[in-house]
Amino acid sequence: MGKKMVMVGMMLLLAFTSACSSTGNEENETAENNSTPGVVEEGPADPFGKYDQAITLTYGKEVDPTDKSLPAGDTPENNQYSRYVKDNLNIDTKVTWQAATGTNYEQKVNLAISSNDLPDALVVKDTQLRAMVKAGQLEDLTDAFNRYASPAMKSYMEKTNGVSAEAVTFDGKMYAIPSIQVHSDGVHQMWIRKDWLDKLGLEPPKTVEELENVAKAFVEQDPDGNGKNDTIGIAGQQNGGRLYANFLESTNNTYGLDPIFGAYKAYPGYWLKDDAGNPVYGSILPETKEALAKLRDMYANGLIDKELGIRKSASEPVVNGNAGIFFAPWWMGYGPLPDAIKNDPNANWQAYLLPLDDDGQFNAHMGAPSTVFVVVRKGYEHPEAVIKMLNLLIRDESKFDISVPVGHYPLRVPMSYMDESEYSAKALQEVLAGTKKPEDFTDPGYKLLAADIENVKKVKKEPYDNMDIQYWDPQADLGVWSRIYSLLVGSSSLQQDYNKVYSLLYSQTRTMESRWSNLKKLEDETFLKIIMGAAPLDTFDTFVSDWKKQGGDKITEEVKEYVK
Amino acid sequence: MRNRSFIKHYYIMLLPGFLWLLFISIIPMFGIAIAFQDFNPGQGIWKSTWIGLENFEYMFSLNDTKTIFFNTVNIAVMKIAGNLIVPLIFAIMLNELRLMVVKRWVQTIVYLPHFLSWVILSGILLDVFSYTGPVNGLLNILGIEPVLFFARADLFPFIVVGSDVWKEFGFNTIIYLAALTGISPSLYEAASIDGATRMRRIWHVTLPGLRTTIVLLAVLSLGNVLNAGFDQIFNLYNPLLYSTGDIIDTWVYREGLLNMQYGLATAVGLLKSVVSFVLIIVSYLLASKFANYRIF
Repeated sequence: MGKKMVMVGMMLLLAFTSACSSTGNEENETAENNSTPGVVEEGPADPFGKYDQAITLTYGKEVDPTDKSLPAGDTPENNQYSRYVKDNLNIDTKVTWQAATGTNYEQKVNLAISSNDLPDALVVKDTQLRAMVKAGQLEDLTDAFNRYASPAMKSYMEKTNGVSAEAVTFDGKMYAIPSIQVHSDGVHQMWIRKDWLDKLGLEPPKTVEELENVAKAFVEQDPDGNGKNDTIGIAGQQNGGRLYANFLESTNNTYGLDPIFGAYKAYPGYWLKDDAGNPVYGSILPETKEALAKLRDMYANGLIDKELGIRKSASEPVVNGNAGIFFAPWWMGYGPLPDAIKNDPNANWQAYLLPLDDDGQFNAHMGAPSTVFVVVRKGYEHPEAVIKMLNLLIRDESKFDISVPVGHYPLRVPMSYMDESEYSAKALQEVLAGTKKPEDFTDPGYKLLAADIENVKKVKKEPYDNMDIQYWDPQADLGVWSRIYSLLVGSSSLQQDYNKVYSLLYSQTRTMESRWSNLKKLEDETFLKIIMGAAPLDTFDTFVSDWKKQGGDKITEEVKEYVK
Repeated sequence: MRNRSFIKHYYIMLLPGFLWLLFISIIPMFGIAIAFQDFNPGQGIWKSTWIGLENFEYMFSLNDTKTIFFNTVNIAVMKIAGNLIVPLIFAIMLNELRLMVVKRWVQTIVYLPHFLSWVILSGILLDVFSYTGPVNGLLNILGIEPVLFFARADLFPFIVVGSDVWKEFGFNTIIYLAALTGISPSLYEAASIDGATRMRRIWHVTLPGLRTTIVLLAVLSLGNVLNAGFDQIFNLYNPLLYSTGDIIDTWVYREGLLNMQYGLATAVGLLKSVVSFVLIIVSYLLASKFANYRIF
């Protein structure tokens, strides 16, 4: 008993330190010795060149545990995509470890960074990239990029006006290949059950007030007609999810309440300019308090999911047909909607840029063009391999059989023109309407468009201009339906005018490295408590002064320096 | 000669435990150095910059530190009390049962949750206490408004302690049952001849017979005061519950691993280790004094 206790005690006390204590000195030294490039070849090289002798590339892989698409015999390590890479480039990709999508994967990457036990390449996020650069763990990719990046990759990067290049450049050296995401990944729209609206004789809500009325009707008037009082007006984020996207995680915030903040011209989590032109943090502004007050009201009236922030899976009520409204980007056709229409083929989810603010405008906070990055371990002999793999992905993605999600492509990060989804949606509409022909779209940079045009009529039934779910045929090809529905329903609305708000900054300043996690925690905790009625609204004012005192003021100064 | 080889066997039996201790507990101790560094994983412990007590200064300036120390002690003390008292009462009740078959069954059933991990149990708990779960269903029948248990910071410590006691009391009961077998039946016979009722017998025979066991377990659990149960809380909590539910271990995990604040997290972990170390020493001294308990 006694000894067991000592051991258990020590084990627990030191559980953390053990994680960080594998020093990896030897490894690091050899890495440093190897890192001086022996021979630097000059001039451009073949971006798609196949290696004469097979090379090996190890990486850590993110896998979606709910994904059952791999055919029997295939694995996350060995599938159609890894074989494609092997056949075309002669690169053997090996998975060192895999982790579930999201937090699990991030933790695994953090662990790899802190123990200095890195695979040859990884996909990381901004804070991790910075930590790795600071720790000197990364290979300089400048030469490899200049010589091997395909023209398409380079043109995508140029289209971001240097923002994506800046995100990966430290002291003039390029330490990662940035993702280049469609900017619609940052625009969070209102997805709503149009069949419920029709049944109750309602219109899509244009203002927050109308949104309240619709949500109230959804909760009280039994829109699913099952005779039970079991419907949720507005679905919210799950435990560990975000109430709104922030400057560090500025895209793809599914189930957050972002557009409601936008309707109050509030942009919490973003760095904005105040009237005097100085940087100010959106979360501490009066507009945010106003939005919180409204959300608190709505929550108290039962219009927002009672289990906001507590649920294990936010998509559950959407999939089960219990929720009528949620907020998310354009790509919901990829998920959760396929599961939702499997359960209820009449679930007519449509997307709108709503609700509007007092001036009748839709306000969207926009994401950073690059939010994930491919990095290469210092000392890896073939840094250009990851660039070749991405070149290949960009060139051939449209040919792939996407019944197996392209996420299985080794080290895949999204890369495209930033307006790809709106552009593609418009093109599809024009082709369907017959005003343009497929041949009119020739820019190879819109890499999936040709395939989209070819496939669109497989899943879209006439009339082509009516997007209601009964005019679709998802059964014909669910993979194609996912994409086309996302484009025509999710991206079409983005063609209208809306107010785009950018953050002054999309990465961390120096003081943030040590103080931000505490401030962020303060913010998350306070806002959730205010909305859910666990703290009075005026806690907001205490939060603002605490935030400033505990490092916020200093950070604001740093942002000011940065923006100059 | 015979005696010496006998001892040798003991040492060999000690070896696996010793190796485990060495590799899992002693060697990682060097990681403590991180608490005094601006740790850079690329350079490792030897080359990272030493910054003295800066991490500790920041730690004490954080409001969080007070909260997590309070929460840890609060939850752990309640758990220790619950895990001492509930199994004691239960063991005495079981002991009074005449039907051996029933006794065995009950014992086995309450013992079962001990073998389930918190990952599984937390999923069950989250469902059971959810807004539409059975507990709220029951409250509804009684005419009480549904309660969002996992949004109520004031209730969270009780859920944590209650579920922990529920999970472990069957296991802890066994210790008391074992001690109960050590009480001579003649004492009970003598008591009943003297006309003692059942309650009297429990009071004057059973409880005194268990006294050393109770004291020993109570004193030894002192060393565990700062271990409030990472697995359990980590799987149950959310930001709404930080104010009463965030404990040292979960905080260190979040700051250290998720937010990459290695130095700060190690400093807090080290503080916990030091306090726990002192408590373990104290608990052994007390145990040897009051319960005549010695390791060697």
